[in-house]
Amino acid sequence: MKLKIGKSYYEATARQRIACILDNGTFKEILPPQEKKISPHLEMFNIPVAFDDGVVVGEGQIDGKPVSILAQEGKFMGGAFGEVHSAKITGLLKRSLRTKPAAVVCLWDSGGVRLQEANAGEIGVTEIIRSIFDLRAVNIPVIGVVGGSCGCFGGAGIISACCDVLLCSEEARIGVSGPEVIETTMGVDAFDSRDKALVWRTTGGKNRYLFGFVKTLVENTPDAFRAEIIKEMKEPCGLALEQIEQKHAALKKRLEDFSGLGDALEIWAKMGFEKPEEIPGMSEKELAEEFKRVSGGIIC
Amino acid sequence: MLANDLLKQFFPDGFDVKTTDSIVFGAGQINSQEIAIIGTCGHALIGAKEILALGDKFLEIIKSKPGCPILMLVDNNGQRMALEEELLGLPQYIGHLISIQDFARRNGHKVISVVYGNAVAGGFIAFGMGAQSRIYATDGASPSVMNLPAISRVTKLPLEKLEELGKTVPVFAPGCENFYKMGGLLGIWKDKLHERLQEALDKYGEDDNRAEIALERGGRTEAFNIINEVINA
Repeated sequence: MKLKIGKSYYEATARQRIACILDNGTFKEILPPQEKKISPHLEMFNIPVAFDDGVVVGEGQIDGKPVSILAQEGKFMGGAFGEVHSAKITGLLKRSLRTKPAAVVCLWDSGGVRLQEANAGEIGVTEIIRSIFDLRAVNIPVIGVVGGSCGCFGGAGIISACCDVLLCSEEARIGVSGPEVIETTMGVDAFDSRDKALVWRTTGGKNRYLFGFVKTLVENTPDAFRAEIIKEMKEPCGLALEQIEQKHAALKKRLEDFSGLGDALEIWAKMGFEKPEEIPGMSEKELAEEFKRVSGGIIC
Repeated sequence: MLANDLLKQFFPDGFDVKTTDSIVFGAGQINSQEIAIIGTCGHALIGAKEILALGDKFLEIIKSKPGCPILMLVDNNGQRMALEEELLGLPQYIGHLISIQDFARRNGHKVISVVYGNAVAGGFIAFGMGAQSRIYATDGASPSVMNLPAISRVTKLPLEKLEELGKTVPVFAPGCENFYKMGGLLGIWKDKLHERLQEALDKYGEDDNRAEIALERGGRTEAFNIINEVINA
């Protein structure tokens, strides 16, 4: 039975997202909350724990095919990576090397490393990255999805960039240093984090999509994400030297073409959009068509 | 500039490196084996430009010196925090650099990183942790995720409390000893760096056993067991 969560992927909890993405009734959670795998580190800070440490991992089916799936719960500690949280994800990825599912679906929603467990979280992030590349090396697609309230920042932003396909909604925000962090460290002139339109243009799904960082911009509903995930359950794009060199050249060209520009509106104009100011108001479909017309693909 | 003294300790038989901005590139000899050197210096900030320069060097070695061991010398103050970097998609640049390090490791290059200066947050992930379970530090190096005053500001936990706790648990405070206990550093090298490097090359393995090491050292008591519980569920 599907949980009734309304239409917003953004508003849904981790478990609701999994229930909607998978075929009805197929989810089997591994280390569910009953097992009480809690963080051993939060108590010393008098911070409440969660019995799943903010991440749900398990297996199920999508379109009748077996998948591994994980979902971070942004409502607990901002979906941040602590020791247990990271280990559950690494465990699922390593398990998938053995079970060889049709895809590993990762519903990221995280502000990054949990600072109360900073060292464990950062090392955990890199153990996850290693496991992602282990899967990609044997051609198991690792599909990243971003569309939650925490987006993907810090270590989570880097992890999202290691998946072989990334799908996101326009509400998704992805970055390394979050706007508040940049403002706090470098000053309000460097990045005014209260300017929500600026934050959105910089880190939001549309800018990530126009650079080819995100493959498909998806409408903010679980059904739309499910449909796009099904399309990506196929031979992954691969990591041969030729592909790595192509990406290297594309990232180099991007820096040459756009460095020195301080606003996404300028970048979009240089990409060839005649009216970049209209991009924020476009639907996913309108933008995809406009993008195709204008660029022919700056994608890498 | 990467101190000549440090390179002499690694490569008493000779070395030849060139420093361009904050990027160090070259090669050294150890027991008549050539080791490629890719590093950063001057507490580099890791942004798109630095990542592409480092990536160039990795690709050059991958293509021209198959199987040549690569020594990454790590000194950075983290990712460059700037609107421009984020606009261009810094996560994608970092992910790309990690994929190149991963490619080198999977294709016959022993990849070892040694933190000799700072190694901070996204900068450490981008350049350093790509060597995974073969990461070392020289004594006195400073790996960190975030300094304690900044952690205090973000978490709203009092600095005094963090300083106090940081003395007894390795899980959040900066420093080599803490990263060592957590499995983030395989070893801390105090002297005879050329011997330590030779040992690291001799016992090099590709597996990522950091969680297991962390359990043995009492730093992460849960991670290894949970990983295995999930694998075997």
